[in-house]
Amino acid sequence: MSSSTNTVCKSHNARSSWLAALVGALCLVAASDAQVGELRVPSRVVAGTSISIPTTGSGTGTFYLVGPSAATRRDVDLGQQISVPSEDLRSAGRYVGILCADTCGSVEFFVMPAKPVSLTFLVHPSRAPVGQNDVISGVALPFDEFRNQVVAPVTVNFQLTAGSSSPMSHSVSSQNGIAWFRANSGKSAGALQVVASLRDASARRIVQQVASDPCNLRIKGQRTAKGIMVETEPVRDCAGNPVPDGTVVTFTAKGGKEASTVDAPIKQGIARAHMTAAGPVSISAASGVVMGNELHLGAQ
Amino acid sequence: MTTRSGALHGRLAEAIALGVFALVSLYSVGADTPQVVLNASKAGPRAIESLTERSILRDYRFAWVNLAQALESSSTAPLNGLFAGTANDWLTGLVNKQQHSGLSSRYLNQSHKLEAVFYAPEGDVVELHDTAEYDLQILDRGKTIHSERAIVHYVVLMTPAADRWVIRQLQAVPEF
Repeated sequence: MSSSTNTVCKSHNARSSWLAALVGALCLVAASDAQVGELRVPSRVVAGTSISIPTTGSGTGTFYLVGPSAATRRDVDLGQQISVPSEDLRSAGRYVGILCADTCGSVEFFVMPAKPVSLTFLVHPSRAPVGQNDVISGVALPFDEFRNQVVAPVTVNFQLTAGSSSPMSHSVSSQNGIAWFRANSGKSAGALQVVASLRDASARRIVQQVASDPCNLRIKGQRTAKGIMVETEPVRDCAGNPVPDGTVVTFTAKGGKEASTVDAPIKQGIARAHMTAAGPVSISAASGVVMGNELHLGAQ
Repeated sequence: MTTRSGALHGRLAEAIALGVFALVSLYSVGADTPQVVLNASKAGPRAIESLTERSILRDYRFAWVNLAQALESSSTAPLNGLFAGTANDWLTGLVNKQQHSGLSSRYLNQSHKLEAVFYAPEGDVVELHDTAEYDLQILDRGKTIHSERAIVHYVVLMTPAADRWVIRQLQAVPEF
């Protein structure tokens, strides 16, 4: 196992070369009198594990540990082991151990994330129209039990299941602690279950697949005592999925030089509108970018 | 003659004092404001828009200003909501531990070279690699016990909030 060793009296504050030389010379003098021996720490420690740091020399000193989850100070006997408890080493990152007696010596080491036990999983969108390319995306980030991001490559399995159809699986190796995918939406409206899994950890999200734009919009109508009642046939997308209620259908009536327009939301699959026109009239319907058939009615 | 020479010396001393003051002021500004550059050219799968790039740069710089102030004063007061989730828990926990132990840390003369390595398809998370360089001083009740010029590699996760980008993860690694 490789280990980090101490650096005594680094001259970081020197702003000019002559000052650096002076500080360096002073440090050499101090180092020659140092009672603090060399500190040895494993260069990489797994998060949540305790470590022991052997010391040399005699007498007492003060040990400091500064890192993402530690800012501790305690008296120690030189020549004895310094035990660092696991709770001081839970957060992954860079730590500095400092041992001071007559002089101070320090050592840096890294705490690495433990094994992944949970996934943060972001899936978009929450509602997706059917039959669209690359409309669904998911991003998974593995974390260990101390909420450290696991940046070492791991394989994340993405599984997409819609209704009773067979699941679609896709394995992705994480890069820089992130695994992601893009997928097409299915052909049928309904819930799409998206699961990201990694060993024992998994996260589940639901994407509601909804009908796409209406297809073959057809209307019918008749004159009544108060005008014209016009309505669509059940509105479906090109895959036969009913278009959601609330989708707006625009009816346009043209008679001579006059034109009138009515917006009507779909209710239970059908959009209805009441229009007024006494003379011969042509009525058309549109929803989004889709045009329907044209209806011709004679004078009242 | 003596009077004229005295006045000349006085002006010279004044000019030197002003020059020193200007240099000290310049140095202080440099020391307090981290230098941050961002390379977003390798971000994917989504490209980072220029406005987003500027926001990330601005908020990351402010976050480090806040971090440095919080760890120097051992107070959570300087934190202005630029850390969230795990990063916020970590930072407030560290400040509390410093208060308890009497330790404090100074991050001086910071420079950060950021590289965006991932930007989510829907733009809801960005991962950055920061090669940070700063003077780190660790103090025990005001007495410096450790100082170094540190070069530290950070893996950073940022997410968009209502009006800013916040740091959710700030994790030092030995190398990228």
